[in-house]
Amino acid sequence: MELKEIKCGSCGHVNPPGTQLCQSCGKMINSDYDKKKIKDLMRYDGSAIRSKTRSTSIFDKIWIFFTSIKVGVSIILIIAISASIGTLFPQEYFIPVGSDPLQYYTENYGTIGRLYYELGFHNLYSSWWFIILIGMLALSIIAASIDRGLPLLKSLRNQRAKKHPSFYKRQRLNLHQENVSNTGSVIEELKKKGYKHKADGSHHLLEKGWLSRWGPYINHTGLIILLFGSMLRFFPGMYVDELVYITEGETVQIPETGGQYYVENNDFIVDMYDENAGTVFDDTLQNTNEMVTSNYQTDITFYENQNKDVIGASPDLKKVEDYSIQVNHPYRFDQFELYQSSYDNSQMKSMTFQLEDSNGEVVGEQFTVNLDNPEQSYDIGEGMEVNMRAYAPDFVEIDENGALISETPVATNPAFVFEVTDGDSSELSLLQVMLSTDITQDNEYSVKFVENENHWATVLTLKKDLTLPIIATGFVIFLIGLTIGSYINHRRIWINDEDGFNISAHTNKNYFGLKKDIDPILEKNGYEHIFDRDAKDQNESVNTDEE
Amino acid sequence: MKKKTRNILRTSIILSIVILLGVTLWFNLTSDSQAIQVGDDAVDFQLETLNGEEMQLSEINEDKGVILNFWGTWCEPCREEMPDMNEIYNEGHEDYEIVAVNVSEGEQQINQFLSSLDENLSFPIALDSNRDVTKAYQVGPLPTTIAIDKNGVVVEKQEYQLTTDDIYSFIEQSTSE
Repeated sequence: MELKEIKCGSCGHVNPPGTQLCQSCGKMINSDYDKKKIKDLMRYDGSAIRSKTRSTSIFDKIWIFFTSIKVGVSIILIIAISASIGTLFPQEYFIPVGSDPLQYYTENYGTIGRLYYELGFHNLYSSWWFIILIGMLALSIIAASIDRGLPLLKSLRNQRAKKHPSFYKRQRLNLHQENVSNTGSVIEELKKKGYKHKADGSHHLLEKGWLSRWGPYINHTGLIILLFGSMLRFFPGMYVDELVYITEGETVQIPETGGQYYVENNDFIVDMYDENAGTVFDDTLQNTNEMVTSNYQTDITFYENQNKDVIGASPDLKKVEDYSIQVNHPYRFDQFELYQSSYDNSQMKSMTFQLEDSNGEVVGEQFTVNLDNPEQSYDIGEGMEVNMRAYAPDFVEIDENGALISETPVATNPAFVFEVTDGDSSELSLLQVMLSTDITQDNEYSVKFVENENHWATVLTLKKDLTLPIIATGFVIFLIGLTIGSYINHRRIWINDEDGFNISAHTNKNYFGLKKDIDPILEKNGYEHIFDRDAKDQNESVNTDEE
Repeated sequence: MKKKTRNILRTSIILSIVILLGVTLWFNLTSDSQAIQVGDDAVDFQLETLNGEEMQLSEINEDKGVILNFWGTWCEPCREEMPDMNEIYNEGHEDYEIVAVNVSEGEQQINQFLSSLDENLSFPIALDSNRDVTKAYQVGPLPTTIAIDKNGVVVEKQEYQLTTDDIYSFIEQSTSE
């Protein structure tokens, strides 16, 4: 490719290196292009794509690499393929809370699952190579837009009305007629259709929809803003999305606030629709076999901690306010929001027992054992007392010392050693959820399980997203650019009456519409319809000549 | 002149993308590995002990090395290392202190475990009932033992059961100048 500036042999205009059509008169000054792709010449108005001209420093080489459309499309393809692979197995935030990801993927999906984890597909959007790909996409968009957009928009701004005869012939739509008398009236009628007129002697340029050419660059700007916003999500303090688990009656510290705020779960409520409410929905509700929930709600008290210097120190809580969090009605504080997310009643809270004698007769009152921090002794009346000698929340075995061994601290399989005493004698028994074993011989009494009660815990989602305004702005700009690029057509018509009546026309999309603009006017002024070079081998319909 | 602006534009765009990428990756990689490691400053905390007293790390740490032992009664290696630690502690602990931080268990469970031991534990048991300290130190498996020297710097960390040799090593580390 030539690296020298090119002087047009016809009009004398000096063009930047790499220019194909003279920026002034439109004559072809550089024949070094694929002649089969004549439409490509007009895509950027024959102007030089900047990066195709010089390459010297390392930055130039990187830049030129990323301006390539092939490279850009490859990056997009790689991103699309990786994103689809990322949907094969669940992402990490969908696997059960608390499980080890490596173990989970290996156990459930075998070697491929392990590979999936090792390569970072389990957390695709924050894996280092995906972030780098997105960065490369950003560079590709910026570089390609600057190198193609700037010369194009500059050449469109500087364009002259006077064009070389070869330029007319090169256009897809053109016409030569001998009669020159109606040139003026054709121009006047085109102006009525909203074309802006520019004249240079007997040469005329009529143009409308110039904004269309900005479309791709506006929408690329939107994309860059969008990518910038998503990048900020990785910055500390910009984005929070965390679960807060609060058992009924408990007060917990809100994460990410440095211990400043606490929230208490006063009550978790699930309301159902009433099948007999007398509304039009009654029939439908009766026809469904299950209850339909109308409301999930957590009544909270929100506190601010006045004593947050030392970790673990008992907080000095000052009540801020009470609030009822419902689905889609979060509690807002500072830049945070607390949403109702789900609930959990799988954790056991307490177990209730009843003492029976050997005849199966009930003795004394029922007693309830709090599984989180049980009492040692229960007075059940009638002179009887039950003492809890040992307790394991998640019982596995009895060790050699006779102690109950627990597997985990969570009350999933509670076991107790109860001592029943009537003041004179006492006897021991081991009680598990389903079975009871006498420890002492020939027990008179047995402790029977009556019922258990579970904890009601609410699960709230703590959200903070300062990037949302940026992402939304980027998206709106992207849509504006897309609309401008898609629905506005850049139409240009060149007319001169130097050697007969010459007209040619170009548009970046929708040649059908352009012909509908021109043909009625030509017909009215006694000219033939404009010649469409592509109409012979193409259906004469909408031609979408992309960007 | 024009070429100069173009070069500045190209260079600055490439550099800013590379820098932003680097910063993003750095934030991303550091966000989930904040566990306290050897060489870090110990995080001060204040907890209630099983005896009902308040203890604060920085107060103990003023003139003594500290060994933090995060444990639970349900964890077998924790149960096994307790008597060993107690024995060595009873040989003398003028220049160090052991704090056994129980992770979020009820007092009944702790007392039940203590009464199953042959002798009482002499060192204080701190109750981290809300896991505040466990979270601050990003303690994963139990037991986790951390030695802190008199300057408040973490000098040793182990995430499995301590042998008697390990315990002596932790004491030596925490008391060395």
